[in-house]
Amino acid sequence: MSLKVGVTRFLGTNCDQDVRQWFSLNGHKAEYLWFEDQFNSNDYDMLVIPGGFSHGDYLRCGALAARTNVMKSVREFANKGKPILGICNGFQILCEAELLPGALLRNKDLRFIDGWQTLKVENTTNAFSKKMSVGQTIKLPIAHGEGQFYADSETLKKMVDQKQIWLTYENNPNGSMLNISGITNAKHNICGLMPHPERALFDWMGSSDGGFFL
Amino acid sequence: MINDLEKKLKTYRLSVEEYEKIKSLLGREPAPIEWPLYSALWSEHCSYKSSKIHLRKFSYRNERTPLMDGENAGVVDLGFDEKIAFKMESHNHPSFIEPVQGAATGVGGILRDIFTMGARPIMSANYLCFGDVDAPRMKDLMKGVVHGISSYGNCVGVPTVNGQTNFHPRYNKNILVNALNVGYFGPGMKMALSNASGPGNYVVYVGAKTGRDGVHGASMASASFDDDSESKKPNVQIGDPFYEKLLIEACLEVLEKNLVVAMQDMGAAGLTSSSFEMASKGQVGLVIDLKKVPLRDSTMSPEDILLSESQERMLLICEPKNFDVLHKTFKKWNLDSAILGEVQAQKKVKLMWGPEVLTDIDPDLIVESAPRYERPYTKWTPKNKVAELTRPTIQFAEILKKALSSSKLNRFTWIYNQYDQRVGAKTATACESAVAFTRLEHSGRGLALAVGCRPDVMEMDAQIGAYDAVYYPAFQMALKGAEVLAVTDCLNFGNPQKNEIMSEFVASVDAIVDASEQLKAPVISGNVSFYNETITENIVSTPAIGLVGLRDTVEDIRPDYFQNPFEMILEVKLNWVESFTWINSLGNKTSSFKSYPEINVPKFIQLCKNLDTEIKAKKIKVSAIKAVGLGGITTTCLKMTTSELGFDLSNDYQGVTAADYFKDTFYSFLITTSELEEVRKFLKSYFNSIPVEILKIGETTQKIIRITSEFQLDFDQFQKQFKQEI
Amino acid sequence: MMTVGIKIMPRDVILDSQGRAIEESMKNNGFKFEGLRAGKFLEVSFSNENKEDVKTEIEKMLKIGGLYNPLIEKFEIIF
Repeated sequence: MSLKVGVTRFLGTNCDQDVRQWFSLNGHKAEYLWFEDQFNSNDYDMLVIPGGFSHGDYLRCGALAARTNVMKSVREFANKGKPILGICNGFQILCEAELLPGALLRNKDLRFIDGWQTLKVENTTNAFSKKMSVGQTIKLPIAHGEGQFYADSETLKKMVDQKQIWLTYENNPNGSMLNISGITNAKHNICGLMPHPERALFDWMGSSDGGFFL
Repeated sequence: MINDLEKKLKTYRLSVEEYEKIKSLLGREPAPIEWPLYSALWSEHCSYKSSKIHLRKFSYRNERTPLMDGENAGVVDLGFDEKIAFKMESHNHPSFIEPVQGAATGVGGILRDIFTMGARPIMSANYLCFGDVDAPRMKDLMKGVVHGISSYGNCVGVPTVNGQTNFHPRYNKNILVNALNVGYFGPGMKMALSNASGPGNYVVYVGAKTGRDGVHGASMASASFDDDSESKKPNVQIGDPFYEKLLIEACLEVLEKNLVVAMQDMGAAGLTSSSFEMASKGQVGLVIDLKKVPLRDSTMSPEDILLSESQERMLLICEPKNFDVLHKTFKKWNLDSAILGEVQAQKKVKLMWGPEVLTDIDPDLIVESAPRYERPYTKWTPKNKVAELTRPTIQFAEILKKALSSSKLNRFTWIYNQYDQRVGAKTATACESAVAFTRLEHSGRGLALAVGCRPDVMEMDAQIGAYDAVYYPAFQMALKGAEVLAVTDCLNFGNPQKNEIMSEFVASVDAIVDASEQLKAPVISGNVSFYNETITENIVSTPAIGLVGLRDTVEDIRPDYFQNPFEMILEVKLNWVESFTWINSLGNKTSSFKSYPEINVPKFIQLCKNLDTEIKAKKIKVSAIKAVGLGGITTTCLKMTTSELGFDLSNDYQGVTAADYFKDTFYSFLITTSELEEVRKFLKSYFNSIPVEILKIGETTQKIIRITSEFQLDFDQFQKQFKQEI
Repeated sequence: MMTVGIKIMPRDVILDSQGRAIEESMKNNGFKFEGLRAGKFLEVSFSNENKEDVKTEIEKMLKIGGLYNPLIEKFEIIF
């Protein structure tokens, strides 16, 4: 079934074209949603907030983007229980907008890290795990300076109980609590992850495990 | 009066002879505003006055490389309605002063040279030269430069896919930071040129506001560092990659909408160079009111504004009817655009300060009339060439210990994994690969990128080193199945007013010209950085080279690492030049060399290029292939190890002394296979038209590194040292 | 125990790219103000409560210890 996917575009978003390519290759129709404009939730089946350096990552990653006009519509879309995927900077924006719990801090070694990671699938109750099975490992690339997931102990406990931990690192590269690489909200319709599935579609890219997401 | 003149000449870095020339060109004394104009445009960096007569030798072009004289970057037509633009540039002096911003603005500057032509930047690479790791400030400089490249490159959204990091004590006081960028024109994408045209058209300034960044910057790039370096507090140019990203998107959008007549980025000498060069190229005039320039600091004088090197600014020409949409497009991307003036038919650049005319001058009196010096040089004679090589006496343990602790043997993963290598979802290789491959969006072919120039070889002999700067990366590209298409260069040298430096420059240029013509890969763009010296210490002459190439696909690129244990390692060797460069470099000594000039290196490279296709077609079982680098077969095998796989040379390679295991021969490659006889037979037949040696040198192992029956390395300890951060 | 603040801001002539981005975003969202510059604030604690001693030590940390980059930053010590 061909989906209509909204892909947000902030000043400084870099992975919008990559995400659009990913969805097109899977037979879906992806459209850009400009940060200054609101949109009608009924016009889209799914939303993706791609990676990049929105607003230069200034002040805090995702902080300035989270407070733009388009996010008002994103919030409405979320409240309707429709699926949203935040990738890397997109994950940071969703946390800043409080659509996902916790925050992403600077990597523990204080450096940007680019590399391949083996991830473990912890839960599959969300719209982006239809081809995954619990316990499966997948190989995806990361490229981020602020990927250390933090939440207070109460929040973490709730997340564990409500099966909100989606993906974990086998070799934690950034100090994330509980080795968290990807999470969902309590309703399981909003997902965020630091690795880039749109960069793992073919063997020549280094892995085709992005194929497990759609 | 004389004192005044002397002071002026010193401030504006002009010689007495240049001043006399200016007076005779103008027929009068230069007006106050004309001093900074001449200072900037006649600086070495902008005018190429010491190199121009030699750069003319790079005139070879072919059907893929249209002549685009004087454009910002060179363009290669790839067929299938795809083109690329590419160029390399230096930012050496600013990086030595403030490494993070120096390197960052270097990356920003070369990006602008690419997208100012309408190409979307798709690959970044860098070429770095540092001094001794323990030299003063060096560790901070290294960390700063890498951080600058990474923070700028990652934010702007262009993958950093390739790089080369070199170390030599002669860079202790003058590091080199060269940045390269490749841009893509897909079907229907329009190329923008920089020649102004159309009297009545608007001259429009777009991008960041102008501040005091880098005033006197272009002249700074052309002056050598003296003891005052530490106390100089220049207005460091700050690069903002976020702004650059906005500029890229906005510029490409207005070009797509056909709103632009011409465009030029404001780089070295900012508004001065962009306005005068656009006018001179178009052979038209411009009227510009400097009071209309958007300012960050309202106290700036006209001279400050003209010389400012604030980053992320462009100058463009547009028809008046298109200005409104253009302005709205830039506004959408949060950028300013201001009309500074207009194009006029009369070939004069009129700079105004409100109603006051500061100058009304023919741009060619500055741009075209820049001096062209014939700096004295001597015809090249190799000083280190010998009839027979003497083997240095070394011990395995000692030499490897020295190499591992000195950067001569390091994986540099700690550098590469600070770079975003995969944004764009087109990168097919890891940054630490010798050759980078990106998938071309429309045709799906692989675009190859590699950089070259090995300072230790340059020190041995500038002419051989310059040939090697082109041949070696071309060879590495060929082994991965890519054909070299074009060359860009960044010629980093010391003081051209010294005969020995100029001689190395001319010898290098001549060698690059010859190598590029033989490989049928024209030199289509480039940059010259002179005066890389401190007091009287010059750097090793470093003509850095960038190559682009083409491969049919990005699939099945043969890896650089051992793939399986218990496979055979074969060496295919062409003996053009022999030396002990690597061993000598560890003792800070210059190597001597023996050469066989009758050897046809380009023919070998061409054969290597088709090897990939032949192997596939004949279904030959080959697992890995890698060019042998400095340090010979042993160092190369060490670089091919993984966390699980090692090698054993003891049963196959019989060096006469320890030195033989690290001997440098240009050029050879290693190939691994489980089918020794089949592959040996295939290679012998394939290379039968040239004098190569083909021998089995060893076997891959599981976690063992054995060089001779007496010498073995601790596998885990080696891996740890090899990957450690310097 | 005494805690002293060190405010580190970009020098006035230097482009403050972070401040610029925050300023533009805030103004876009309708907040009204003139300008905004961004820097960093350090809190350093000392067991020695002698103001002069502490000031000397902080100045050493700044100028020799590299706590700030004099090429692009300026500092203010806040007791």
